[in-house]
Amino acid sequence: MSTGTETEPEAELAEPGSETNEAALESLLGERAIARDDHLNAPGFVINPNDVQDVLSDLRDEAGYDHLSCVTAQQYEDRYESIYHMKKFADPTDEVSIVVPTTVDDPVSQSAEPVFRTADWHEREAYDLVGVEYEDHPDLRRILLPETWQGHPLSKDYDQEKPQLVTLTEHQNPIQPDHHDAESDTMFLNIGPHHPATHGVLHVKTVLDGETVADVEPDIGYLHRCEEQMCEQGTYRHQIMPYPDRWDYVSAGLLNEWAYARVIEDLADIEVPEYAQIIRTMGAELCRIASHMLALGTFALDVYGEFTATFMYTFRDREVIQDILEDLTGQRMMFNYFRVGGVAWDLPEPREEFFEQTREFLNELPAKVGEYNDLITGNEIFQTRCIDTGVLEPEVAKDYGCTGPVARGSGVDYDLRRDDPYGYYEQLDWDVITRDGADNYARVLCRMEEVEESAKIIEQCLDLLEDWPEDERDVQANVPRTLKPDAGTEIYRAVEGAKGELGIYIRSDGSDKPGRFKIRSPCFSNLQALEEMSEGEYIPDLIASLGSLDIVLGEVDR
Amino acid sequence: MSGATATPSLFPLQNGGDPVLLPEHITELTGLDQFGLAGELLATFVAAFIVGNFILAMTGVAGPWAKRKITASFTDRIAVNHLGPGGIGIIIADAVRLLAKENIIPENVDRPAYDLAPIVIAGSAMLGFAVIPMGSGIHLADPEVGLAFVFAVAGIASIGLVMAGYASGNKYSLLGGLRAVAQNVAYEIPLVVTGMSVVLFAGSLQMSTIVDAQQQTLFTIPGLEWAVPAWFALVNPFAFVLFLIANFAEVGRNPFDMPEAPAELIAGYQTEYSSVYFVLVYLGEFLHIFLGGAIIATIFLGGPAGPGPDELGILWFTLKIWGVFFLTQWLRSAVPRVRIDQLIEIGWKGLLVLSFANLGLTAAIVGVIA
Amino acid sequence: MSSDEPRQTIYDSTAPSTDTRDARIGEGVDDRFNSKLREAFGASPFILTKFDEFMNWVRGNSMFMLQFGIACCSIEMMHTYAIKHDLDRFGAGVPRASPRQADVMIVPGTIVSKFGPRMKRVYDQMPEPKFVVGMGSCTISGGPFQEGYNVVKGAEEIIPIDIHVPGCPPRPEALLYGVLKLQERIKNGESSAVVVKPYELEEFGDLQKDELVQKLASEIDEDDLVMRYNWADSP
Repeated sequence: MSTGTETEPEAELAEPGSETNEAALESLLGERAIARDDHLNAPGFVINPNDVQDVLSDLRDEAGYDHLSCVTAQQYEDRYESIYHMKKFADPTDEVSIVVPTTVDDPVSQSAEPVFRTADWHEREAYDLVGVEYEDHPDLRRILLPETWQGHPLSKDYDQEKPQLVTLTEHQNPIQPDHHDAESDTMFLNIGPHHPATHGVLHVKTVLDGETVADVEPDIGYLHRCEEQMCEQGTYRHQIMPYPDRWDYVSAGLLNEWAYARVIEDLADIEVPEYAQIIRTMGAELCRIASHMLALGTFALDVYGEFTATFMYTFRDREVIQDILEDLTGQRMMFNYFRVGGVAWDLPEPREEFFEQTREFLNELPAKVGEYNDLITGNEIFQTRCIDTGVLEPEVAKDYGCTGPVARGSGVDYDLRRDDPYGYYEQLDWDVITRDGADNYARVLCRMEEVEESAKIIEQCLDLLEDWPEDERDVQANVPRTLKPDAGTEIYRAVEGAKGELGIYIRSDGSDKPGRFKIRSPCFSNLQALEEMSEGEYIPDLIASLGSLDIVLGEVDR
Repeated sequence: MSGATATPSLFPLQNGGDPVLLPEHITELTGLDQFGLAGELLATFVAAFIVGNFILAMTGVAGPWAKRKITASFTDRIAVNHLGPGGIGIIIADAVRLLAKENIIPENVDRPAYDLAPIVIAGSAMLGFAVIPMGSGIHLADPEVGLAFVFAVAGIASIGLVMAGYASGNKYSLLGGLRAVAQNVAYEIPLVVTGMSVVLFAGSLQMSTIVDAQQQTLFTIPGLEWAVPAWFALVNPFAFVLFLIANFAEVGRNPFDMPEAPAELIAGYQTEYSSVYFVLVYLGEFLHIFLGGAIIATIFLGGPAGPGPDELGILWFTLKIWGVFFLTQWLRSAVPRVRIDQLIEIGWKGLLVLSFANLGLTAAIVGVIA
Repeated sequence: MSSDEPRQTIYDSTAPSTDTRDARIGEGVDDRFNSKLREAFGASPFILTKFDEFMNWVRGNSMFMLQFGIACCSIEMMHTYAIKHDLDRFGAGVPRASPRQADVMIVPGTIVSKFGPRMKRVYDQMPEPKFVVGMGSCTISGGPFQEGYNVVKGAEEIIPIDIHVPGCPPRPEALLYGVLKLQERIKNGESSAVVVKPYELEEFGDLQKDELVQKLASEIDEDDLVMRYNWADSP
């Protein structure tokens, strides 16, 4: 809805805070809102490029929109546009989009970084991929692509066929005498991109003062697989769904698929059968357990060193979950099981066997969790290593847009499954886990307890599925063969992925493929906070903090 | 033997009559004593060769095979099982493959320190075994300062570590080397001080005397007719535990595997080493674990003592060393690593104070009894 | 080289790729299996043949893997090392984090332009004889991401690969089979005729002074190592 300047008089929608709220927003923004550009999920206000900081800080301080969840940049024929998707941590259904258009010739817009720290990386990404420049940004460099890259790949005039040069710069040796500058005794250390503690291909530029970390700067983009471009090239109906599996690839596939399923179902207005929703809920929570198990195992790897018993035990449990998921979906990791409007197929036959297998796993789970508590969280050395290290204060976490177990470990009570309900979560009985420790230990405990909550959800889903009448087992809604949402419809929707708020923004251009497909990755925002967590601590704490953030590079870099 | 006559001898310490040390046995058995000093020298070399190979064979079994098997059994796996019974053939395959690999010497290393370091690391541990009485007559030398000698040569390893770390021209190696030194300095003192308490009990630094002192009966379990020997681990369990902890730090095993710290420092001081050098460094590590085990066995677990005839001594001794090795692998599988500052804190503020307390207490008790 | 004219490999001549192969492995039997002694003798005396066989047996039965995770496949790779599948049964389950101590590199995932030079560097740091297992579709052709502007279409563009394991991601069983197949080949003294396209690391100053190089001249030092990335160039 690119236009629509009129102020929707007395609209009778009962959406949370729609009319009164919109009126309040309008009066708050006043003259600065030069037009309306409503999105399906939120009212949108168009503002001038040099009002950004002003408007965003007003929205945060006056109206309570304290969560800048995503920054989307895109290019139209006649203009560039940056969209700031804002929410409240207290109520994520209360959203507002701030649209900042700039001209093609001079795509300069004010940076939101001074207001929200999280905008730092988001705007760097927008600059890197689309080419919008942000004034007042502290460090506007490329983030995902090599610094010598030519052109901005998601802009209109980018030619993919042009050759590029990639550098391999080396850093100086500590033994060389000229390395020390007169002022300090620090040493520069590259951690990664190939390093056992980075869980993939992350590069952490570290400045050390002895064993103390003086400065940290994560350098990402070593796994930038152009997921957004891939999704923009696929058709809504079938070709996009396989890609989400590969964003957060630690068996969290169904959670990611749900992000896409939710956004496309809202965009095309598809009602999903209740039975399919229950299967989705169950599958997604199984994935969450698998994902948290891996997080626990790799965190243990970071704190224990080498492939130790704890690591192996988590993999033992993951094997069981992967077997169950394989029975359900047909694949161990890249499930591609959700369909637009439902799931691919019903539970595997014989159903009793599936129920029995899953229940057996759930019955054994408490004993296993107990074992982990004995082995890991109860261990005193582990506690001295993790308590009060990597501290992330709740206010800082919010500023960085942290979500998921990272935010909940800092006491930010934010879980989209409860706050912005989807699927079958609303009808089930479970709790959101938060912990106040704000340190590495709290994050680990938070994940462990979430595993137990997920088990509760699965248990209830199994009961429901078992008793479901045989002739009402609809796994898919009636969805047209080709989906062509109206041109210019824009929507941003998020689900609670394994690592936090996994959101997708889609703008349709009237064809059967998205005009712009933007992924809001939780890991991307969470990783930004690493700097805040580890400066002034020791190298082992840096490694442990990185582990406790539980990043997946596939999702950070997309 | 030679000590009784006026000819100069390599074994002036032997207490008349019966041969005690392995070189003496060899001299006697082969009749080398007719050749005077040269013959004794040859016998010493032969004895050292036998002992050295015995120790190397043990590390050879431990490194590529036993370590994997033990870790695997802690983690519900099988590990190597395709070459020979229980996969024992992997020892040959691993050793030959590692030795036959290309030895990369990076451009910016500091030679010859880079080349010497692996030899220093492996060699220092080998030297320590010279004074360890292993039972069944396998004992190379028995100087009066035996225990001090062992601690001294084992301490040389830290020079090797810092050489390796510094000379590699790699920042991770450098960090690993520096950690190794900080750690060894911090834990050497409690180690030696705790060792002193044993010396107080035994009244001598000589290894054979320390072992003999442990042969007495501590008490007899009534009704069982079973004599509990006066092993210092039983006489003073507190010192034993202190010594064990300090020893793990000294050899750099979990929870104190700071110098390597695989998840943090790639492989610490050994990051840049490949092929033969890597084998030497790796071997050195295992030799140090075994040397640590040997010291523990000798001064706390009665050395080669055990049920059965004295000829079985070497068997018991080997078992005790492997027991300590097994413990290191157990800890490696199950215990997290402490942080470097915590490690130093435990060393200086905890172990050091406790070890002096232990020494004082022991001195008081020994004084009272005496 | 501009993308308007794809390198001739694509349609008419195989010379460039053959040249690269010869440059890497030399003529005749793969150099990785050729001892210096044999070279000195000029022929294959019985004892050396036996010795070579023994060395192949040794290398085929024991290998240290590089602890190297890239993308999705690395999760399945970890599963292959872990409890159920236990790659160590075949003497191949010791992951070493330092490339200096590794024999086999499993490439588990998509290679993108920024990571390409780094992977090449890690490969170069491994001592000979070294082997590479390409895991998953991405290392074969770029897999599902082949169309991406930033994706290298297969790891073989950068380093030589001995065994390809297809799948997205391959099951642990498949990787296990791939490693066993590699061991079998090593034991038989076989080595694949590996085709590597010249995605080489070069010093910036040595590059042909085309438009792009001139444009970047102010940003990159003469002796910095660079790698050309050309999406259109590979098939």
